[in-house]
Amino acid sequence: MRIELAGVTKIFTDEKKVLDNISFIEDFKALAIIGPSGGGKSTLLRIIGGLISPTTGDVFLDGNKIIFDERYLIQHRRQIGFVFQAKGLFNHLNAQQNVMLPLVNVHGYTKADAQKIANRLLARFGLSADKHKFPNELSGGQQQRVAIVRAVAVKPKLLLLDEPTSALDPELTGEVLAMLNELRYDGLNIILVTHEMGFAKKACDKLIFIVNGRLAEYGDSERLFIRPHTAELASFLNRVLEWGI
Amino acid sequence: MALYRVFIKGTNDKITLLQKFLNIVIAVALFLLFFFFSAKRLSINFDFSFLWTFRYRLIQGFATTVELSLVSLILSLLLGFLSAMANNSRILAISYFSKVYVQFFRGTPMIMQIYLFFYIVGTAWGVDNRFLAGVLILSLFEGAYIAEIIRGGIDSIEPTQLEAAKAVGLEAGQTLRLVVLPQIIKRTLPALAGQFASIIKDSSLLSLISVIELTQTIREISASNFAIFESYIFLGLLYLSLTFPISMYTRYLEGKFSYEN
Ligand SMILES: Nc1ncnc2c1ncn2[C@@H]1O[C@H](COP(=O)(O)OP(=O)(O)O)[C@@H](O)[C@H]1O
Ligand SMILES: [Mg+2]
Repeated sequence: MRIELAGVTKIFTDEKKVLDNISFIEDFKALAIIGPSGGGKSTLLRIIGGLISPTTGDVFLDGNKIIFDERYLIQHRRQIGFVFQAKGLFNHLNAQQNVMLPLVNVHGYTKADAQKIANRLLARFGLSADKHKFPNELSGGQQQRVAIVRAVAVKPKLLLLDEPTSALDPELTGEVLAMLNELRYDGLNIILVTHEMGFAKKACDKLIFIVNGRLAEYGDSERLFIRPHTAELASFLNRVLEWGI
Repeated sequence: MALYRVFIKGTNDKITLLQKFLNIVIAVALFLLFFFFSAKRLSINFDFSFLWTFRYRLIQGFATTVELSLVSLILSLLLGFLSAMANNSRILAISYFSKVYVQFFRGTPMIMQIYLFFYIVGTAWGVDNRFLAGVLILSLFEGAYIAEIIRGGIDSIEPTQLEAAKAVGLEAGQTLRLVVLPQIIKRTLPALAGQFASIIKDSSLLSLISVIELTQTIREISASNFAIFESYIFLGLLYLSLTFPISMYTRYLEGKFSYEN
């Protein structure tokens, strides 16, 4: 998939530019967004996902411009899966119902079909035994896996994830990343914000590095890890990789 | 199983049905014995036979209380919902009007509201039907409490729930119908059911303006035959027959929803 950003700037209520004139073009299968916290990574992801609009600038996916107008955005969101850091499942629905809701109410599947799809996917990712559990009965890792199942059940053309494992301990992080890796091999395009440098390096083909709202560096992830061009990225990697990966 | 285990619950024990039954009987018996001996000390001899004579009036009063409570429940739910919405209004006067309403009716005794509204507001606007006046006052009073319950329900919706609804592509109306309302209902239903029990009990205060509901009926009967103790014991039992099932239902709802939320 090709993503192009042209002069994307985001200012919330105060004058501070949370995103400052971000421009790049990348062809990617899995794109990782990395950088220090507070830098604007989530904001960028939410603009790409059509959850918020940029103050100025354009975003293109495979050459199609995202029109930041509610009527268009709702269509845009329907073609995209979005997974939040945590708590993204609907509290009042069990795992199966969570997966079914968008299928039935957004994508027009019958209840029976939606249930089949939900059960098949939940089974594939080892969640069959948990399908009747409510979010607060699931472990953090299970919650994130169900959230991913819900996002991919509608066959999105792109899956966006905002630090999907940062609330999890290492073991659960592993099971979520394994699931993402599998989906990537299925041909699903992924953009994720992550602090898992191992995953960014090995499972993502492209990387963008955001510092203080600026795009400091981007390109092949392999190259960025081995030969960072900017001092900022070099020192960031030094800090996060201090204990190896 | 040692005998004492029937009466003592270990930290991890499950209470059996038999245990529950036995011990409830004991607790109720203790409670009744206390009253029995209190009455003994005053050498009162209970005689409930007169109740049969007044059965039609009692049934009528009971029916009026149920009616009063049901109509007030519906009206106060409506008022409470509107008030909770108004509280979040971006038009400040409306928002403050709702806050003043809730503060006033929760912060003053109902007896004062009854007199004030019946004799001043009611008279000024020609509401002389006592039942209607009673329903209105009771609904205003309970509506203020229900407003707070519903507001709490609205506040308890986490922002991530709305963001998730947006992300999966729901429209605003669908988000309200499929995500927000079900969550508010699940969170507030136990408290609302409990509030219904309060409405039933609070309706007794309308006897102050001579709405002939259950309490007023009993007041009239006991004033004519001086069987005050028997009358009020029976009154208590009748109210319990209404509130106890509701209280059980509230418990059930709390248990049911505690893990689903
Ligand atoms: N809705 C918002 N309103 C105002 N400021 C916001 C909002 N969302 C994020 N910000 C600010 O934007 C900056 C970047 O936030 P974010 O995109 O979450 O960074 P990151 O995900 O890289 O940690 C932060 O300073 C944050 O406080
Ligand atoms: Mg973030």
